[in-house]
Amino acid sequence: MTQPAKAPDGPDHAALIEAIAVRRDRAAFADLFAYFAPRVKAWMLRAGSGPTAAEELAQETMLAVWQKARLFDPARAGASTWIFTIARNLRIDSLRRERHPSDLMPDPLEEPAAPMQADHVLAMSQQEIRIRSALAVLPPEQADVIRKAFFEDKVHAEIEKELGIPLGTVKSRLRLAIGRLRSVLGDLG
Amino acid sequence: MIRHHPSETTLAAYAAGSLPSALSTVAALHLARCPVCRRSLATLEATGGAVLDELTPVPLSGDALSRLLDRVDEPAPAPPPILNPDLPAPLNRMVLGRWWPIGLGARYRPMRAGDGAWGGLVLAQPNRSLPRHGHAGLELTCILSGRFADGSGEYGPGDLSEPVVDHDRPPLVIGTEPCLCVIASEGMKLRGLLGLAQRTIGY
Repeated sequence: MTQPAKAPDGPDHAALIEAIAVRRDRAAFADLFAYFAPRVKAWMLRAGSGPTAAEELAQETMLAVWQKARLFDPARAGASTWIFTIARNLRIDSLRRERHPSDLMPDPLEEPAAPMQADHVLAMSQQEIRIRSALAVLPPEQADVIRKAFFEDKVHAEIEKELGIPLGTVKSRLRLAIGRLRSVLGDLG
Repeated sequence: MIRHHPSETTLAAYAAGSLPSALSTVAALHLARCPVCRRSLATLEATGGAVLDELTPVPLSGDALSRLLDRVDEPAPAPPPILNPDLPAPLNRMVLGRWWPIGLGARYRPMRAGDGAWGGLVLAQPNRSLPRHGHAGLELTCILSGRFADGSGEYGPGDLSEPVVDHDRPPLVIGTEPCLCVIASEGMKLRGLLGLAQRTIGY
């Protein structure tokens, strides 16, 4: 496997996931847990889960990180992105289980991917860092719409109501924000 | 060639996990066939990762890590069985009802709904129209095979229809092939034959 790039401003989470995949490394898991579990819990709370459910979902997310570590491919997503999608899918499953236990969320990350070139692997692991800096410089009204989409359990008609702007404006701000984020990834995204 | 895509707001809701499940299934069917939208989704999911990094951590209970370490050797849950091998993922693993006639030349096969949106497969013969009831909220349709046309253009396999305004006439199947598509809609409960079919498996 290609060596993942180390994030310049933090621990190398991708390497920790790899250590779990390769040698079931409990110390690496503890480090990953310390960083991600409280953030996943915070996201669950923001997305509308109660405190007990948020705690349980954060634990289930970390358990899935251990179980799925072998499927993590740094060429396809950074560590935070991968863990975010696991947390999101578990949250959807839990909402669905309340009604229909046998349904499921499509999990595109589990499908095999075409091999990528080494320089692409380096670029993908930088993706989150670039997105984070891009979010910081987005015009506030665009950053507001994009954060609302992730933080709150709201479909766009509700965002429209809450921000008091027409749906067309919500859509055009999101379109601009996504375009801006995509452009900071250059031709690597 | 795919010409019709979901809106950015729909993709963002899909990435964030806030799209009702029936609508999310329709979006997933389009995404599986559309590299352009998969790129946008990757950007949005990376944004989700960045948002996760930005959040102020909320501590878990003191013994959460040790309790979890006791469980890590448990086997991972098996994926749900493939129930419908003739359908693309994620429909292949979903519980679907049986086919119901919903008028001349059209049939409906409901999927389970329940979180604010209903949906299912529709098979319509050439020159027949598709049912549409989306005036209460978001409605998505993805074509699996065949073609249809409505006021906003022609649609083929992989295309996703997300009407922005209330349409005055429903889409009409064009060409010589029957049209198989998956439809999902928020809002109102269904009446008539479609409602009867949906009620057999649940809203």
